[in-house]
Amino acid sequence: MFRGITEKRLLWFLAIIFIVLLIFPSILPRFYTYIIALIFVTSLLAMSLNLVVGYGGMFQFHHGVFYGVGAYTVALMLTKTSLPVWVGFVAGPVMATVTGFLIGWFCVRLTRLYFAMLQISLGSLIWAIAFRWYTLTGGDDGIHGVPMPALLSSQNNSYYFILVILTICLMAMYLIVKSPFGRTLQAIRDNPQRCEAVGINVRRHQLKAIVIATFFAGVAGVLFVVLERSVFPDLLFWVLSLEVFIMCLLGGWFTFAGPILGAAIIVSLRTFVGIYTEYWTLVLGVILILLIFFLPEGVMGYFLGKFRPLAKEVAHRSE
Amino acid sequence: MKQKMVLKIFIIAILPLATAALFFSSCKKAPKIERPIKVGIIDCYSGPPAVYAKDALNGFKLALNEINKEGVLGTKIEYTTRDTKFKVDIGLSMAKELVMREKVDLLVGTISSSVALAVSDYCKGEKVPFMVWISKSERITGEKGHRYVFSTGENTAMAGKAGGVALAKKPYTKYWIAGDDYEYGHAIADAAWRNLKKLKPEVELLGQSWWKVGEPDLIPYITAILAAKPEAVIFCTGGRSMTNVMKAIKATGMAEKVAIWIHTATDHAVLKPLGPEAPEGVMGTMDYHFYYPDTPANKEFVKAFKEAYGEPPGFPAFHGYITAHFIAEAFKKAGTLDREKFIDALEGLKIASPVGEIEMRACDHQAVLPMYLGVTKKVPEYDFIISTDIVTLTGDEVMPTCEEIKKAREK
Amino acid sequence: MDFASLSTQLLVGLSRAMILFIVCAGLSFILGVLRVPNIAHGSLYMIGAFAAYSIFTHLGSSSSGFWLALILAPLVVALVSLVAERALFCHLYQREHLMLLLFTFALMLILDDLVKITWGPEYCSVLAPNILRGSVSMFGASLPRYNLFLLIVGPLVAIFLWLFVNKTKIGKISRAAAVDREMVGAVGINVSWVFAAAFVIGCFLAGLGGALVAPTVSICLGMDHDIIIEAFLIVTIGGLGNIWGALVGSLIFGVTHSFGVLLWPQFAIVFPYAAVVIVLLLRPRGLLKSVW
Repeated sequence: MFRGITEKRLLWFLAIIFIVLLIFPSILPRFYTYIIALIFVTSLLAMSLNLVVGYGGMFQFHHGVFYGVGAYTVALMLTKTSLPVWVGFVAGPVMATVTGFLIGWFCVRLTRLYFAMLQISLGSLIWAIAFRWYTLTGGDDGIHGVPMPALLSSQNNSYYFILVILTICLMAMYLIVKSPFGRTLQAIRDNPQRCEAVGINVRRHQLKAIVIATFFAGVAGVLFVVLERSVFPDLLFWVLSLEVFIMCLLGGWFTFAGPILGAAIIVSLRTFVGIYTEYWTLVLGVILILLIFFLPEGVMGYFLGKFRPLAKEVAHRSE
Repeated sequence: MKQKMVLKIFIIAILPLATAALFFSSCKKAPKIERPIKVGIIDCYSGPPAVYAKDALNGFKLALNEINKEGVLGTKIEYTTRDTKFKVDIGLSMAKELVMREKVDLLVGTISSSVALAVSDYCKGEKVPFMVWISKSERITGEKGHRYVFSTGENTAMAGKAGGVALAKKPYTKYWIAGDDYEYGHAIADAAWRNLKKLKPEVELLGQSWWKVGEPDLIPYITAILAAKPEAVIFCTGGRSMTNVMKAIKATGMAEKVAIWIHTATDHAVLKPLGPEAPEGVMGTMDYHFYYPDTPANKEFVKAFKEAYGEPPGFPAFHGYITAHFIAEAFKKAGTLDREKFIDALEGLKIASPVGEIEMRACDHQAVLPMYLGVTKKVPEYDFIISTDIVTLTGDEVMPTCEEIKKAREK
Repeated sequence: MDFASLSTQLLVGLSRAMILFIVCAGLSFILGVLRVPNIAHGSLYMIGAFAAYSIFTHLGSSSSGFWLALILAPLVVALVSLVAERALFCHLYQREHLMLLLFTFALMLILDDLVKITWGPEYCSVLAPNILRGSVSMFGASLPRYNLFLLIVGPLVAIFLWLFVNKTKIGKISRAAAVDREMVGAVGINVSWVFAAAFVIGCFLAGLGGALVAPTVSICLGMDHDIIIEAFLIVTIGGLGNIWGALVGSLIFGVTHSFGVLLWPQFAIVFPYAAVVIVLLLRPRGLLKSVW
C-alpha cells in the first residue's frame, strides 16, 4: 500500500506505533485505555468485514452475526462449562467460522443485494435463537459478568491481550491479502465473468474469503467479551452489522487500514459527542454526509491519495 | 554510619509531616463536603422508550430542585445524562465514561433491563452504587442482585404477582397468554401464571401468542386469540406495544368478549394519547397514578410537576422523584460521600413519598411499592380514560419474600 | 379452527399486506430506477405518520381532519424527500453505489433525530373517523372497519401505480431508466429529473403508508426500525425493483403472518426471515422479474 515509502521505513513506523500503544495504559487515564481497547476490537471486526467487502466485493450485510456467535460461544463456554479458558477462546472463532461456512455456502449462490438479504435472513434466524432461547442464552437480557481468568481481569492486562491479538490478526490478514489467494479474490471483485472464464472457481474463492473473514470476526467477538464481559442479542442484530459496514465505507474500503480509521471515527464520535448532546446520531449523520461529499474514497483513501495520487490509482486499477 | 544518620533524620523529619498531612486531609473531609455530589444518569433518550426516560428525568429534576434548596451535607446534588440508545454496548461505554472520566458518585438508570443488568455487573466490579429506576426485570434485584445495585421501581415479579392475586379472585378458568416476545413479557407472564396457578389450581392455559417487540399490527393476533375462545387473557406487554394492544382491543371489541388483564394498562402515558379510543373494562395494575391515592402529598407533587413540565407525572416521574429523595436521604444519613457508607445508609431507609412512606428493603435492595389494581373507565372529569375502582395491594402482598430472593441468588 | 376465524385471519392478513405493499412499492420503485437501497425509507414512513398526527390535531381531531391528513401527510414527506434529493442526493449519482447506500444511511440518522427534535418522544395517536371505528360482523366473526378500509385503499393505490407506470410519460421513462439508464440519457431525457421524480414518488408512497398506518398504531420514534427490514425482505422476495413483486411479497408476508399467528404463534418472530430464506433458495432472484 505505502509504495512511496520503503518497506523498511514502513516497518519502523509500525513498530513505533506499536510501542506507543504499548505504553498508553501507563500514561493515559483508565477511560481512554478502555476506549482505545474498544476501538481495537471494533476495528478488528471492521477489518475482517473488509476482507469480504473491500477485497471480495461481496455484500456481506450481516457480518455482526459471526462476531456475536464468537462472543456468545466464549461467554457460554466460560459460564456454563468448566473447561479450561483457552478452550473457550479457541471455540469462539471456530464456531464463528463454522457458522460462516454454513451461511456463506448458501449465500455465494446469489449476487449483490440478494446475497445481502439472504445473509440478513439467515443471520436473523441465529439472532432469533439467541433472543428466544432463554435457558441457554439469557434471552434479550443476555449474559453479563462473564468470568475471566485472573491474568485478564485487570483492564490494562485485557488491553495488552487485545493489542497483541489484534497485531497478530492484522499481520495474518495482510499476508492473506497479499497472497495469491488475495489477489485472485480482488480479481473476482473487479471482474467475476472473466475470472470464471479463465477457470477460477469464483464461488469457492468467495466462500473461502467468507470463512476467513468470519474467523477473524469470531476473534473480535472473543476480544469483546474479554473487554466488556457481556454478551447480548444486539451483537447479532442487523443494526450492528450495518454500522460495521458503514465503518468500512467511511474509512475507505479499498485500503487495507481504512476500516481501522472508520471504526476509530465512529466509536470515538459516539462516545465523545454523546457526552455533549443526545443528538449525536444527527451529528454523525451530518459528518457522514460531509465525508461523502468531500472524501469520496473514504478517509484513509483520501490520505493515501493525497500522498501519492497516481500510484494508488494505478495500483487499484491494475489489480 | 553517615548514611544511617541521614536516614534517621529523614525519617524523623518525614514522620510528623506525614501525620500532619494525614490529619489535615482527614480534617478537610470530615465536617463539610466541598464538591457537589455527582449523579450519572444513563438512560435511553431516543427511540420509543425516550418518553419514559424523559418523564423519569423530569421527576428526578423536580426532586433535586427541592433537595438542593436546603442542600445535602452542605453541598448540592448535580447530575449529568448519557443516552444509551437502548443498546447494551453503548450503555456500558457510557457507564464506564461516567465512572472513570466524570468520576460520578453513583449511577442511575435505565429503562432497558439488559443495559441495567450489564451496568449492574460493571458496578459490582467497580464498587459503584447503581440505582435502577424504570427497568422492570426482577433479575436486577433478584437472582442477579448484589450489594451495589438498587431498584426504585416495581419489577416483573411484583407486577406478575399482583396480576395473579387479582385474577385468582375472578371466576375465569380458561386463560390465554399473549405478549411482547422479550424478557419483560415472558417474566411477567411467568410470574402472573405461577401465582395464579398457586392460588387457583383449576385454571387452564389454552395457548400463548408472542409477537416481536414493536409489532405494528396486532389485529391478526387478537382475532386468532378470540378464535380460541378463552375466558380471560393475560397480556404481557409494555411501552409502545401497549398502545398498539389497546387499539387492537378497541378495534376488535375484545374487552366486551373476554376479561383482560395487562400490567400498566392503566398507565396514563398509554391512555392519554388514545383519548376516547382507549378500551373500557380492561384490568390493569400500576404502581403510581397522579389521581390516586388522593392524598395531599400526592396532590402537591402533581401540582409542582404540572407547573414545571405542563403535564401530570407518569409512573417513571414518580420513580425518578423517589430515587432522588432516596439518594439525598441516604447521603444525609451516611454523613459522607463514601460509597460504602452510602449503601449502608440506603439499606432499610424509609422516605416519605407522594404515595406514603416507602422503604428500601435491606435484603434485596428493592423499594417496597404498593400496586394499584384498577379497571379502565371513562369518567366525566377527564377527557381521557382513567383507572377506577382501585384496589391497593401493599408491597408485602406482591413482593417475593427475602427467603425467596435468597434462594434465587444462591442458584 | 372454524371457517369464521379462518376468513377473519385471511382478511386481516390481506389488510396488513396492503400497508406493506404501499411502503414496499415505494422502496422497490427507488430500487428499480435509482438502484439504491433506500435505508431512509423507514424514516420517511415515520415522518408520514407524525405529519398525519400533526395535521390531524391541528384540524381539531375531526373526521375531516383525518381525511385531509391522509392526503397532506404524504405530500409533506414528498417535499422532504424532494429537498433532500435536490440539495444533496442528486450530486452523487455518478458515485460508487455503496456511497449512495452510505448516504441514505446518513439521511436516516439525520431524519430520525430531526423527528425527535420536531415531535418529541411522546407517543402520539390518530383517531380514525367515526365511520371507520369499531368492527363489523362478517362470516360470524368481527373484523375492524379500518382494516376493511385498507382493503379498499390498497387495490386503489395499486391501480393508480399501474396507470402511472404504464400510461404516463414519466412512468414509462422511469421504467425505461430502470432497464437501461444510458439509453434514456442518450435519447435526450434529463435523467437527473427522472431520478428525482422516482425518488420523490417512492418516498411519497412511504409517507402514504405512514399516514394510513397512523390510526392503528402508536406513532412514536422507532417506527422506522420496525418496518425497514421487513420492507427490504419483501422487495427481495418479490424481485428487487419490481413493484408488482412488492405486491406479491406483501401478500405472502401478510397472509402467512396472519395464518402463522393462528397456527404457530410462538414462532412469529422468525416468519419473515424463514420466508425469505425459502424463496431465495428456490428462486435466487426473487419471484418476479428483477432489474437487479
